Formats: sequence, structure tokens, C-alpha cells
Amino acid sequence: MKKIKIKTIIFSVLIIAGSMFTSNAQDANTILKNVDNVMYSPKDMAGKTKIVLIDKAGKEKTREATIIQKGTDKRIFRFTAPSSQAGIAVLSLPNDVMYLYMPAYGKERRISSSVKNQKFAGTDFSYDDMEAKPNAEKYTPKLLKTEGDVHVLELTPKSQKSEYSKVIMKVHKTNFYPVSAEFYDKGNKKIKEGKSVYVKIGNYWNAQEMTMTDLKKNHTTKMIMSDVKYDQGLSDEEFTVRKLKQ
Amino acid sequence: MKRVNLIFIMITVLLISTNITKAQESNLKISGKLLTDQRFLLESPNDWAWNENRLTLNFDKKITDNSKFYSEIWLRNIGLPNISSSADLYNKNIVDPYNLEVREAYVQLFGFLTEDLDVKIGRQRITWGTADKLNPTDNLNPYDLEDILDFGRHRGSDAISFDYYFNSEFSLQGAYIPFFQPANMPVGIFANALTPAMELPQGMTLMEFTDQINMPAYNLGESSTAGLKFKGFAAGFDFSLSYVWGRDGMPISIYNTFTPVDAIGGISINSDLSFYRTHIFGADMAGSIGGVGVWAEAAAFLPESEVIMTNDLSAMYALPSGSVTQDSVMLEKEVYLKFILGADYNFANGTYLNVQYLHGFINERGRDNLNDYFFVQLERKFFDDKLKLAPLAGGFIVSDWSDVGNNYALVYVPEVSYMATDNAEIILSAAIFDGKGDNIFSGLKDYNMMMFKLKYSF
Repeated sequence: MKKIKIKTIIFSVLIIAGSMFTSNAQDANTILKNVDNVMYSPKDMAGKTKIVLIDKAGKEKTREATIIQKGTDKRIFRFTAPSSQAGIAVLSLPNDVMYLYMPAYGKERRISSSVKNQKFAGTDFSYDDMEAKPNAEKYTPKLLKTEGDVHVLELTPKSQKSEYSKVIMKVHKTNFYPVSAEFYDKGNKKIKEGKSVYVKIGNYWNAQEMTMTDLKKNHTTKMIMSDVKYDQGLSDEEFTVRKLKQ
Repeated sequence: MKRVNLIFIMITVLLISTNITKAQESNLKISGKLLTDQRFLLESPNDWAWNENRLTLNFDKKITDNSKFYSEIWLRNIGLPNISSSADLYNKNIVDPYNLEVREAYVQLFGFLTEDLDVKIGRQRITWGTADKLNPTDNLNPYDLEDILDFGRHRGSDAISFDYYFNSEFSLQGAYIPFFQPANMPVGIFANALTPAMELPQGMTLMEFTDQINMPAYNLGESSTAGLKFKGFAAGFDFSLSYVWGRDGMPISIYNTFTPVDAIGGISINSDLSFYRTHIFGADMAGSIGGVGVWAEAAAFLPESEVIMTNDLSAMYALPSGSVTQDSVMLEKEVYLKFILGADYNFANGTYLNVQYLHGFINERGRDNLNDYFFVQLERKFFDDKLKLAPLAGGFIVSDWSDVGNNYALVYVPEVSYMATDNAEIILSAAIFDGKGDNIFSGLKDYNMMMFKLKYSF
């Protein structure tokens, strides 16, 4: 009888612990899905971005570009300044298919997917960071805590190829936009810090200013969005090599 | 036929002018680049090997929503002044030689007649091939071989081309170039790099050489070049199949007249050169396998007819009648294949590696005359991408695998480049050549050089 009781207790504890874990995971999954809903709910987006690169001495360099994006996996990023980079454009398509267009060569070039861990155009964002793939597809979330206005999530990359071991993301409790993120390398050392300022444009929250700091190099990149327009009805034809070269 | 052509031209002009009259005021974008490229030989007395100062001007204007104008102009000073008499001092073109070159100037119409058709008319580069700089399938425009170290450079051609898009993944490109334009050959110290050594019978010494080039007649059948390319995307890979009906842009000797000039074996040769017709079937692909970028490109060349060189030795034998000639086959009427395989990879620490294997260089033709080239480029950026080092860059060439020790070349071109400002790049590099045997780079082994370049974009 005593034996049965002990078994029942152990079984119950296991069930409770399991359900707690499931509940935590569900919460974390729900939060991350809400983040994706906030970030990727527009059908398409067009805008301009000013990229400010700030080195450790505080010296600034500026780049300018236009962006068009459709859904979560189609994007054209085209530099307009400085002159040495004007016209260079990157087309990102589903399944890690990327093309680089350099006006000087007059043709597009496929970029190998190994570029994903590289810095994007000299910024502190990697191609991977810039990828518009939903977080729920890239990471397995765990809710660490809820404090003040934010949920704190620990995100573990699903892909072994990721340069990160984990990302600690703070998510606004009410509006579900990511407020900040800390990126850890494979040695579990914090290597980058990102912050975002969101404003509402129409029905959507827009990351008007994103800052990423490379802690090792003490180098910061600010991306400031302007002239953002949502749901303009951009067709798939806008995200082709034909358009990239125009 | 003539009438049909005329009607077609009139309709085209009408359609273009309709587009232009619809033009709305928009900004003309002017951009450009200033380049200075200076090279000197490492061997004393350190002769100047190259002097080029080039102002590139790009004009880009969106004429309407579905048409644009683009041009690239080079204004430049190349080479060193060749002043030989006081009279030359009165000629500014000799004292300070500058030239103007229209590299490209075209109008492009998007969605012409049907929304899936883009048409480009005017001087244009039609860039084909997926490989890096060395593209066996890139045969529509003439080679610009002026600078032998700038592999794969082409000039623009006066042409009409179109792209028809079946959907976002498949398209057909066509090009028609009415007038044949030959390649321009290397200049300065590279002048003889692509000229094969002439083998003379024992006891003969070449005292004088003259030649004349037989240009194709300017008519549809003789001077035209046309090409068609089908491009697609499937299973994560880009691919294309192409065909070009053109001419080899480098002339080939077809008739040599030997004349004795003295009694001790001195001769003069007068050579007739021509550009043979060829069919070129091409295929290429590019993609990514396990994070590694991969590409392959091949072109099968089929000369339209056998190319025979005749040596006329009649004057050597001073026969009262008849002629003495020797024929040799310069190029068989058989397919020869040039191809390139390449890969690149970005390492997590920012290092970039690019390797390519090429079979058959730009100037090589005929199944038995194609050499093997292995190229490598390893580079890494430092200091927030301001400094770029390419410590391992160059190639290894084999012209005869059965005797590699006597038939090889090594090219080593390390490079340091520094972005002084956002728009100013300073490049310092060296070119070291070594080798033996008959290949383009072993012939440059006396021309090791230092190179300095400044590029300023605006």
C-alpha cells in the first residue's frame, strides 16, 4: 500500500512538473508567435533606411538604402549612398537563395549561404540578423521571467549553423514587440546587444530605430527607418532578378 | 525584305519616341569614378610598366516608369607619351594623350509591347556566365584585352537585345549585333603576350613582318553576331543554356607570303589574317551546397569550317612558273570545350576563399591547345572593413601535364587595399610571374611589377 502511495506521488509530481514545463513552453511559444505577428503581420513594406556606423572612437559613417519586403522571405535591399556603394543591391528569396547585384559588373551573382554569419555591408548586423524569417521558425523559446513591462525569453537557435548559442530577448508585455536582444556566441559569451524603438504606423508597429552593438569591437550600428509604407500591394514580380538589375 | 526591315525600324522608332514623349521630368543621376593605376617593374632600372588615369562617368536617367537611359563614358590618359621629334611637341595628343571611350550607351524599355518583355537598344555589355571574371560563355561582346591582368574585360557592342520572362524563374534572352567588332589587343609591355611565337624553318631569320586583316564584309550574313540564352532556376540552382553564332574576336593567320630579303636567310613575311566563324554552345550553373557557393560554366566551340594556313614560299625558290605552297591545319572543324569550375566560402572569422579551375584561356583555341589554370583568392577584412588583405591570390598554370616541370607558370598577386574614406580606396599590390614553356604567364616572367591604384567614387 505504502509502495503504491509512493508511486502515485512520484507519478503526480512528474505529471505536474511536465505540465509546468509544457505550460512554460506554451507561454514562451505564444509570446514568440505574438512577436512574429507584430513584426511580420504587414503583407509588404517599403521604406528608406539610414545606417549609421559608429566606431569605438565615436566616429560616424553613414550609408543609405531603400528596402522593399514582402511576407517573411522576400526582400530587396538597395544602397543609395555613399557613391562607392550606390546601386549595390541584395535580393533575398526563400530557402537561403540570395543574389548580389553590383552595377560595375552588370550582372547578378548568387551568394553562398555561408555569408549568413557575415556582417551585412559592414554593419554590426549579420545577414542572419537581417533575415526576415519568423523567430518561431528560427528559435526554440523558453520564458525566463516576466518583469516590469517585459517578458524575458531565452531563444535557442534551431540551426546548428547559427553563430549564436542563445539570444535573450525582452518582449513588450502588452504590444509584443522586441525591446532588446542579447546575443551569445557558442562559448556562451555575450557578443552583441540590440535595442529597438517601435512606433505605430497605421495598424502596425514599426521598428523605427534599431541599434546593434558589437561588444568585442565596441562598434555600433544604428538603422533608422523613414518613409515606411505598408501593404502597398507589392507583387512577387518585384522580388526577381529582373527587378534587382533595374 | 528591305521593306520589312524599314517598317520594323519605323515601328520601333515610333514606339520609342512615344515612350519618350510621355517622359516625365526626373533626375538624371550622374555618378562616376576616378582611377589612377600606376605600375613599375621590380627589376632595375624599374621601368614604368603602366600608366592609366581614368575618369568614368555614368549617366542614368529614368525616362518614364518603363524606360531608362544609361551610359558609361571613359575619359582617360593611358600609356606614356611617345615624343620623338620637336614636331611632336606641337601636338597635344602626343604630349598629353587622352581619349574618350563610350563603353555603354543604351535605352532600355521595360514591358515593351508585352509586360514580360524588356528590350535594350544601343551600346551595351551583355554579360553571360556564372563564373568569377573568367567566363567561357561570355562571347557576344568583343574582349578588351588591353590590360592582360584585367581578365575577362569586354567592350560594349552596338546591339539590340531582349529578355522575355516566362515567369519569375524562367526567361529567354536574345541579342543581335549587326557589326562585327574584333577584340582589342594588349598594349604596353603586354603587347606580345597573346601573340604566339612564329616557328621558322631552320636557317631563316625574320627581318620584316607585315600583315593585313580581312574584315568580314558589312552585310547581314558576314558581319552579324547573334545569341540566345535560356535561363532558369530549379532545385535551388540557377542554370542557363546558350548559343552564339559569332566570330572569334582574335585574328588567325590564313595566308603567309615568304620573301627573301638577303642572301643569308633573311626573309620578310606578309600575312593575311581573318576572323573565323564559330558556333558556341554554352551552359552554366550556380548555387550553394552546404554553405559553399559553387558554379560551373562550359562552352563548346565548333568552327564553321576548318581553318587552313597556307605558307607561300614561291619567292624563296624563284621558280619560272607555278607556286610553292605548304598548307597546315590551324583549327579543325571539331568541337573543343572550354570550361570553368569554381567555389567560394565565407568563414566565420570573416575570411573569404574563392577557388577556380579553368580549362582553356581567353586566347586558346583548338582541342589540343587548351591549358589548365588553377586560381585562388583568399582575403580578409580588418579594422571595420577598412583594410582588406589578400595574401594568397594568383594562379598555377599547366600547359603540358606530361612534362609539368618545363611547362608551367606561377602567378602571385598579393594585395592590400585600404578604404581611406567611404569613397576612396587605395590598393597596393604586386604581380610576380614565373614559369617555363609556352603559356601566356610564363612569357611575363621578366615583368614582375608593383602596382598602385587609387579609386575615388562620386
